[in-house]
Amino acid sequence: MRPYLLSVPAVLLIIGILYAFFYGVYYTVLNYAATNPTPTFIGVDNYRSVLGDTLFWRSAGTTLLYAVAATGLETVLGVAIALLLNRSTLIGKTFERLLILPLMIAPVIAGVIWKLMFNPQFGVLNHVLGLGSTFDWLSKDRALASTILVDVWIYTPFVAILVLAGIRSLPKEPFEASDVDGANWFYMFRRLMLPMMWPYILVAVIFRFMDCLKVFDAVYVLTAGGPGVTTTTLQIGAFEDSITNLNYSRGSTYMFLLWIIVFITARYLVSVLGKAQRRAAGAGA
Amino acid sequence: MNEFTRSESGLHVPTKKVTRRSLLAAMGGAATVPMLYGCGVGTGGGGGDAGKAPENGASAVTGSFDWKALKGQSIKILQTPHPYQQAFQPLLKDFTELTGIEVQADLVAEADYFTKLNTELAGKTGAHDVFMTGAYFIWQYGPPGWMEDLTPWIKNSSATNDEYDFEDIYEGLRTSTRWDFEKGSALGTGGQWAIPWGFETNVVAYNKKEFDARGIALPETFDDFIQLATDLTDRSQNRYGVAFRGSKSWATIHPGFMTQFTREGGKDYTAEGTTYTAAMNSDKAVEFTKKWVDLAKNAGPTSWTTYDYPQCTGDLGNGNAMMVYDADSATYPKQKAGASAQAGNLAWYPGPAGPDGSYATNLWTWSLAMNAASKKKQAAWLFMQWATGKDAMNKATASTFADPVRASVFDGSFKQTLGGFPGYLETFEKVIDSTKIQFTPQTKFFETTEDWAVALQDIYSGADAKSRLDELAKANTTKINA
Repeated sequence: MRPYLLSVPAVLLIIGILYAFFYGVYYTVLNYAATNPTPTFIGVDNYRSVLGDTLFWRSAGTTLLYAVAATGLETVLGVAIALLLNRSTLIGKTFERLLILPLMIAPVIAGVIWKLMFNPQFGVLNHVLGLGSTFDWLSKDRALASTILVDVWIYTPFVAILVLAGIRSLPKEPFEASDVDGANWFYMFRRLMLPMMWPYILVAVIFRFMDCLKVFDAVYVLTAGGPGVTTTTLQIGAFEDSITNLNYSRGSTYMFLLWIIVFITARYLVSVLGKAQRRAAGAGA
Repeated sequence: MNEFTRSESGLHVPTKKVTRRSLLAAMGGAATVPMLYGCGVGTGGGGGDAGKAPENGASAVTGSFDWKALKGQSIKILQTPHPYQQAFQPLLKDFTELTGIEVQADLVAEADYFTKLNTELAGKTGAHDVFMTGAYFIWQYGPPGWMEDLTPWIKNSSATNDEYDFEDIYEGLRTSTRWDFEKGSALGTGGQWAIPWGFETNVVAYNKKEFDARGIALPETFDDFIQLATDLTDRSQNRYGVAFRGSKSWATIHPGFMTQFTREGGKDYTAEGTTYTAAMNSDKAVEFTKKWVDLAKNAGPTSWTTYDYPQCTGDLGNGNAMMVYDADSATYPKQKAGASAQAGNLAWYPGPAGPDGSYATNLWTWSLAMNAASKKKQAAWLFMQWATGKDAMNKATASTFADPVRASVFDGSFKQTLGGFPGYLETFEKVIDSTKIQFTPQTKFFETTEDWAVALQDIYSGADAKSRLDELAKANTTKINA
């Protein structure tokens, strides 16, 4: 058997993925909707319509804000937790196992749980925090922050576990040498650990940032994009066009534009990761 | 044999290089095949018959009617967990006994039900032969040909039992499930796209025990209703006046809001021939909307913008909400013994009348529809006529099946169950003559009505009611006439 035949399953898989992708792209130049099941070619009209819609730009801004805030918080908290768990105490090891629990809950289920906890009438949060029955976590002013809080709750453990794995793979010699030279913990963290950990942190950042740009499930369950359009992300906009309004071509256009945003962002972050990896290799040598 | 070497990254890669250009060319070629195939726009899996409704299957059924005609077949039905579905689940074996047809009922939670249904019907696979639907969905699913017109089935005596008695179903419900999909046409024209199964009027359920203890009289006008709800609100006791929906969904508009909106003289659209003009920004509409939103702020649930009917009825059952303005059949189960903390303490009344005494009420009807892509249409129709027939409906009313759609069942077995439901029957009888779909039928219903809910949320969050409703009306007029 010729060796290249081994790649046939992978090629078929790629064709399967590309088929759906290009079919979706093809829809963007049609006017296909449930109310118009015999579509015709309309060129760039869908792009003009979506890009000329203020809701699209507002959703893009909300998505970006969500992604930056959630990724930032998860990274800072994740690194901090990883540093704490790196101490091999019994408590540390117990927390290490407990930490994975939020990751085992589907985001949509987490959304439902948090929606119940946020409820001012019977939710546990207001009761425990003594906020009474008038503090609304999902009001216009707080809804975005609350959805970010849920994201942080679900995914900070992911960052922590990834960074913890990175810390444990670092060489011990530079730290032992610094210790002998009398360097304090903070100096070692800043000058040795952090530069060598950057690639791991960046991998976590890339994963989380990409995921946040595509956020849908937990936000949809919590607020459906409301109040008003306060938490409407690009994915929710695409869902409403495609599924609620059955306007498949407009929804596909929304999704394709989101794909372009994610693709460009991913390319940039991967190039940053490459540079960090090269720098870390130097720092670790 | 190819040569392999070790790369800097540690991976084994072949030494013969595949250039980016050649890779892209290969991938592009592979992708072009389905794209060219796709030029026929095989919409929704329907292939080349896009937009064409399948043949109506009723004419193929001939001979005398026989419940056992398709003994040994099986059908699949798609349902959402609901008191109606729960009441019928134990009865499915009766249908199998009667016909010899097995029924597989698949359940999808209501929050995701129509998403599932949309995608399945668009796919035209015919995976489910019968599905639960609401009347508004006919306006969306009918035009693409996803639903079977049931008129030929009802009229075909070979397919329909003589005792079926379609006319026994309330007229307002029969007409609410008929439309010809033409702009400007009223409901009641065109095909019969679904058979009403259970329905609900939108009225007020209240905590009678609390009302009696305090000697509270039921408010007859909307202003009195607002005042009472506000007086009943005591946030320090985690108690508030009235629960009604506020989530970002079309479903926020249709129950209490649309009912009271209509009673106060509001209209969603005015029609001139085939041109509609949005009227949700009329003076009456703006005044009512302000009052409704203020009611939500001052006497509604704190987290109003996330409230759907389960939260509303949950708060009534728990004793947090003193009233609920929503579907009567949604509050009905809370009165059943053991079903809620306030079971036995609840009662019903029609809610405030309009300034002219109007009790106009918006209705919702869960109906059964046949998938136009079904390959077992005759068996599907046998199931539908059994489920919407007198015998099965009479049996279902013994559990949690509220508001049967048949006058004979409502006046017969259902009335016998209402002894422990103070005011339920009187309320029903007061509003039933003015109960109908108060919306203008139109194919962009869900999009434009969700936009209406978004506008309510914006006003709740501080936007000026008049300018926000003007903006909404302008956008909706454009969308609906596009």
